[in-house]
Amino acid sequence: MNTRPFLGWFVSPAGLVAVALVAAMLAVFQYSVRAYIPGSLEVSEFTWQNFAAMLRPLYALAFWNTVLLCFETAVFTLILAYPLAYALVRTNSSALRSFILIVSVTPLFLGEVVRTYSWMIVLGNNGFLNTLLLKLGLLDRPVQMMFTAGGVVAALVHVTMPIMVIMLAAALSHIDRNYEKAAESLGAGPVRVFLTITLPLSMPGIVAGFSTAFAWTFSAFATPQLIGGGRVSTVSTLIYQLGFSSFNFPFAASLSIIGLALSLAVVALLKKAASPLERMAATT
Amino acid sequence: MLMRTNQMAANTSVAGSDKARPAVQLDGVTKRFGDSIALHEAWLKIGSSEFMTLLGPSGCGKTTLLNLVAGFLEADGGEIFIEGALVTETPPHMREIGIVFQNYALFPHMSVAKNVAYGLKTRGVDKKEMARRVDDALALVKLTGFSDRKPRQLSGGQQQRVALARALVIKPKVLLLDEPFSALDKNLRGSMQVELKQIQRELGVTTIFVTHDQGEALSMSDRIAVMSAGRIRQIAAPDDIYRRPADRFVASFVGDANVLNGRLVERSGDAAVVSIGDVRASVPAASIAEVSIGGSVDVFVRPEHLSVTSRGASGSLPGTVTTQVFQGGHVDLYIDAPGSARDHILLRSPGIAALSSCPVGAEIGLSIGSDDIVAFPPGEAP
Repeated sequence: MNTRPFLGWFVSPAGLVAVALVAAMLAVFQYSVRAYIPGSLEVSEFTWQNFAAMLRPLYALAFWNTVLLCFETAVFTLILAYPLAYALVRTNSSALRSFILIVSVTPLFLGEVVRTYSWMIVLGNNGFLNTLLLKLGLLDRPVQMMFTAGGVVAALVHVTMPIMVIMLAAALSHIDRNYEKAAESLGAGPVRVFLTITLPLSMPGIVAGFSTAFAWTFSAFATPQLIGGGRVSTVSTLIYQLGFSSFNFPFAASLSIIGLALSLAVVALLKKAASPLERMAATT
Repeated sequence: MLMRTNQMAANTSVAGSDKARPAVQLDGVTKRFGDSIALHEAWLKIGSSEFMTLLGPSGCGKTTLLNLVAGFLEADGGEIFIEGALVTETPPHMREIGIVFQNYALFPHMSVAKNVAYGLKTRGVDKKEMARRVDDALALVKLTGFSDRKPRQLSGGQQQRVALARALVIKPKVLLLDEPFSALDKNLRGSMQVELKQIQRELGVTTIFVTHDQGEALSMSDRIAVMSAGRIRQIAAPDDIYRRPADRFVASFVGDANVLNGRLVERSGDAAVVSIGDVRASVPAASIAEVSIGGSVDVFVRPEHLSVTSRGASGSLPGTVTTQVFQGGHVDLYIDAPGSARDHILLRSPGIAALSSCPVGAEIGLSIGSDDIVAFPPGEAP
């Protein structure tokens, strides 16, 4: 205790935040087990009814859609971010490195709403992409991209890219180049070196980036709301509709609880699947 | 490219210095990093089965040279041949070389057996043959029974053995060793050196060994290339390097050397006579060719070629013992001899007699053995 006299002071703000968070979560949980009084913000007696209602196809489907959306987003983000992260770590050109950093990280500073709005401009029926494809003669009439799951995934991939690039780059930069050199000297060409050495050794970063992208997308609201326009329902848009259009706080609260539990479960599962890989990486 | 290879081969046979084709040949290989020259026109021929050491301080270009032979770096000038074939632009995975890295670089996600088998897999060796060769390689490095371990479960010495087995199992044309002992503790280092040398001799694999440790270089090599500041300063057998260093750098980098102030007395053919105070010594004339008679020279004398006599004995230099260092098998005496040397003179006296016979403060005479003394034009310590 005496060796770190200021520890208590330094930790106290974090403690305050933690207490507030726990209190808020308890409040949400409290709401989730109360009965809804239509037309009123007041809630009535204790009930598990809200959770039982979630088994109805409409809501179960929203959960399933959300998981699918998160999965797709994480997969596409990974596929797009890996080459960027690889180039970022491995290039000798500082100009290229700066370019990749700027392109991949600046979206982080723009905020989700601004980025989503840009995507609406790109994806609309008279938007950038459709206009371009029509002008090039690749399409004869606009393709519907707004208000589709595909559009939502495209925008979410963009939102998730920076964090994925950063996590992958961190993992890749920790791989000792001598592993690759050793493999090369043993007769492995570039593709074989990548598949047998670089890729497996970057697995901890892949898993970390994938779970982060998954959890991040699960809680994304602005993008599915604006680009999905109510036609792509996810857990977070559903919570919004129930909570702030129908003012059914109890049901919105129970959706939140289950959503949180589901996303924690998925991340924990990914973490468990990755633990042997991480143990391995820790010793490299 | 083929024509070029033939041409170069023709050139070398005309030069005719080696009867056998060298296993590795560097013809004026140069490497620059930006404005600095990491390797300046290196010319080197390494014979088949030869153990060649690249010795020098860090930054001397020895690792650059190794990386050029391995193919990890591209030469800016000159050509590299492995077993007569031009490989200057061949990528590393087609050069058939084995490398042991300083940190061994064992693939952490693979077992010992998989590590060793890696190079066989890339060559498409069939399963049965692969298993046999992996077993043989592990037996060679005395690690039979360790197949299923992961690298992290092995000690430093064992990891090095696996790295060696992995490099040797592919029957490389050249084995490259990049400071392989520097991560081992001192006792283990000694025994691994003996073992590595045995294996190398047994297999007859051409080896290039990079080190900054002169002890390792002297004890293991068939020949040593001493390097400094991107240049090869001398290529010779270990005893030649030690006894007849080509320049001041080699003389002071390899082994300990005392620099005494001398004067050139006379020159006759290959030999010259220099005087240090009243003492005269015979040295090779070539290294002081540009010094005129009567001019000053720096005379390099090994500590073990000095001995203690009584003060004033003929053919001795006066000196005072300033420090005694007991080293077990010998005693190091540091002697102050103003006039004869700028710095303290180190004298290595075998046995322990000097401990009592030459106490600190003793005024003694220094006599210089006649062998293996070299002189260079005066200059700053390199």
